[in-house]
Amino acid sequence: MTKVVIIDAAECIRARVIGPTGAEHRRLANRVMEEALNRANLHFEEIAYVVATGYGRINVPFADRQITELTCHARGVYQLFPTVSIAIDIGGQDAKGLKIKKGKLVDFVMNDRCAAGTGRFLEVLANTLGLKLDDLGGISLQATSKIKISSICTVFAQQEVMAYLAKGTPLPDIVAGLHDAIASRVVKMITRLKIEPDVVFTGGVAKNIGVVQALKQNLGLEVFVPAEPLLTGAVGAALLGKELVLKARERGEVIAAKERRLEEVTFFR
Amino acid sequence: MMEQKKKKAINRLQTMYPLRANIDKMYERGVEASKTGKPTAWCMVNWWEADPILKAMDVEVVYPENYGAVCAAFGTAPAYLDRSDADGFPTHMCGYARNCIGYTSRMTELGQIPPEAPMGGMAKPFLLLCSGALCDARYKWFQALGRYLDAPVWTVEIPHIGVAESQDPATRAQVIKFMVKELGEFVKFMERMLNKKMDWDKLAEVTDDLIKVNRLWHEINELRKARPCPMHSRDFWSCMNASLYPAGDPKESLKLYQDMYTEVKDRVDKKIGAVANEKYRMLFAELPPWHDLKIFDELADRGWNFVVESWAYHPAKPIDTTKVSNPLERIAAETYHWLTGYFDEAYKAKEYMGYFAYPYLEWARTYQCDGGLLHPLLTCRTATNHLMLIQDRLLNKLKVPTLVAEGDIVDLKLFNHAETMRKAETLEEMMDHYKQKRRDEGLEW
Repeated sequence: MTKVVIIDAAECIRARVIGPTGAEHRRLANRVMEEALNRANLHFEEIAYVVATGYGRINVPFADRQITELTCHARGVYQLFPTVSIAIDIGGQDAKGLKIKKGKLVDFVMNDRCAAGTGRFLEVLANTLGLKLDDLGGISLQATSKIKISSICTVFAQQEVMAYLAKGTPLPDIVAGLHDAIASRVVKMITRLKIEPDVVFTGGVAKNIGVVQALKQNLGLEVFVPAEPLLTGAVGAALLGKELVLKARERGEVIAAKERRLEEVTFFR
Repeated sequence: MMEQKKKKAINRLQTMYPLRANIDKMYERGVEASKTGKPTAWCMVNWWEADPILKAMDVEVVYPENYGAVCAAFGTAPAYLDRSDADGFPTHMCGYARNCIGYTSRMTELGQIPPEAPMGGMAKPFLLLCSGALCDARYKWFQALGRYLDAPVWTVEIPHIGVAESQDPATRAQVIKFMVKELGEFVKFMERMLNKKMDWDKLAEVTDDLIKVNRLWHEINELRKARPCPMHSRDFWSCMNASLYPAGDPKESLKLYQDMYTEVKDRVDKKIGAVANEKYRMLFAELPPWHDLKIFDELADRGWNFVVESWAYHPAKPIDTTKVSNPLERIAAETYHWLTGYFDEAYKAKEYMGYFAYPYLEWARTYQCDGGLLHPLLTCRTATNHLMLIQDRLLNKLKVPTLVAEGDIVDLKLFNHAETMRKAETLEEMMDHYKQKRRDEGLEW
């Protein structure tokens, strides 16, 4: 997904938009920005500074600066939960653990080598079960027990699930087992960060109540989820942009903004 | 219009090239020796415990671990890895071992050195020499080679003692006694194999030369503490093997290292860095992805200068062993010192994390590193187990953040270049943060 958040100097969110991501998603960044400007009733020239983040950050021709998604996530999560110590972000492509102190990213771990422990794992397994991704959370809450998925490989986990289906294991128990598998993998991954409260969970998978519950059980801690868990990175980017502008103004400097073009990147044509 | 060639971000030392060429010549010498019926041995890196004996007895030596790096860099490793897999060896086994077994399997089938083998290949050995230093899994690799090659396998052992035990002088004496006995037995074995007696004067001379080589190489690396750092890890890795293995004639290596010392010193005096704009002074652990060394050029473009690296491949801190008259005891003392050289400091600092981990803590401080790139090898526990400990200590004691990029020395399938570069940007933001934190906490850099 391509997300845009526009904030003002008082840190009020003036617009937030989540746009679709396709194979040429980077080309569409300008359209999502235009939509956000419309909602905020602003002209592009009125935007003081644009920070791009995430995988496609280097391909936003109208950005003044790129900042990595981990730093932006840390800032965004801190804004929403000032007592945060650990943030867990599980998206479709990767899973990340962030150690945050006073809004600063001080350490991180990432699973970027394998679908296990990411949203892709759930997507593939939902398909195998013939369920909609959005329904998994609710279904898992009906479980009376949960199966154990022993394979760390998504393809082999698929085979395990099919074996449980063949045995007649109830669907809620299988789904709860999948949620437990993803949660336990991520908790193992982030243990190095020395987990302490508060723990905040973001990313698309944070919308799945079943994974939230599984994370709570695996951590033995409360887990907080923002109202819009997909937007924390964009919120952080906007805040960091605002801080850069204000710091420059305090010093009496004009922040070096690039000549911006609110248009598609051209190299896809 | 002709495209202008981009200037390389790493300013390589000019004296590196002849040194590297001298190292690489060991393969050619091995093949030539083999053609004339002279003995060639395949030898594990043994931290000088057995090398002087082989050199003193005029045996040409090649090092399959080094050849693994060569095959990875030349792109011939994947075929050898596949060959090892096809012969039934596990894919999670050491990348060097898999490469070497695949190479040997192919050589055995062809009855000659494979034509695609880089640097002329490794000639069929008359001896396979194992070492008990650091990695015990290597024995099995050489035992397997012995069956392919119908060559004898000999092992020189070395006891591994802990930080606390090293403080007891009696322990040291026992270890040295054991090593001298091991070396004495190896000399007798070589005399039987070669049907000639050891020239003890020559052994003393070779030992003395190797100690000088290591001392000079150590001094070159000490110069890298300068800002900007005059020599990048790429040059270290290109040249370490004249000291570590040691490849090449020691007297020739000594001359070439002397030239390198002069060049590095000149750079220090003129404040010339290995990377033009040294923004981040970096530490690397352990062995690099030999198949993807270009990643260091990309990182250099971002101002990353790798100023220190790979503890196990650095020479020991110099000690004076000139009063030790028995060359075997002198060899044992030097190798033992390499293994335990940082133990006194580790003990004082109450860091009982052994020889693999503690030096990085000391170096991060003395080389004033901003961050580290840790490369856990998915096929090597020896070069991996300690990295999480290092990461924890560097961050919590010295406020030096590190990036973990999993991979392998040989198998390029296990390394993700793009992801490593992506994480590198995040590390930069963390390094900026911790630089301020170190200042706030009164650390020196």
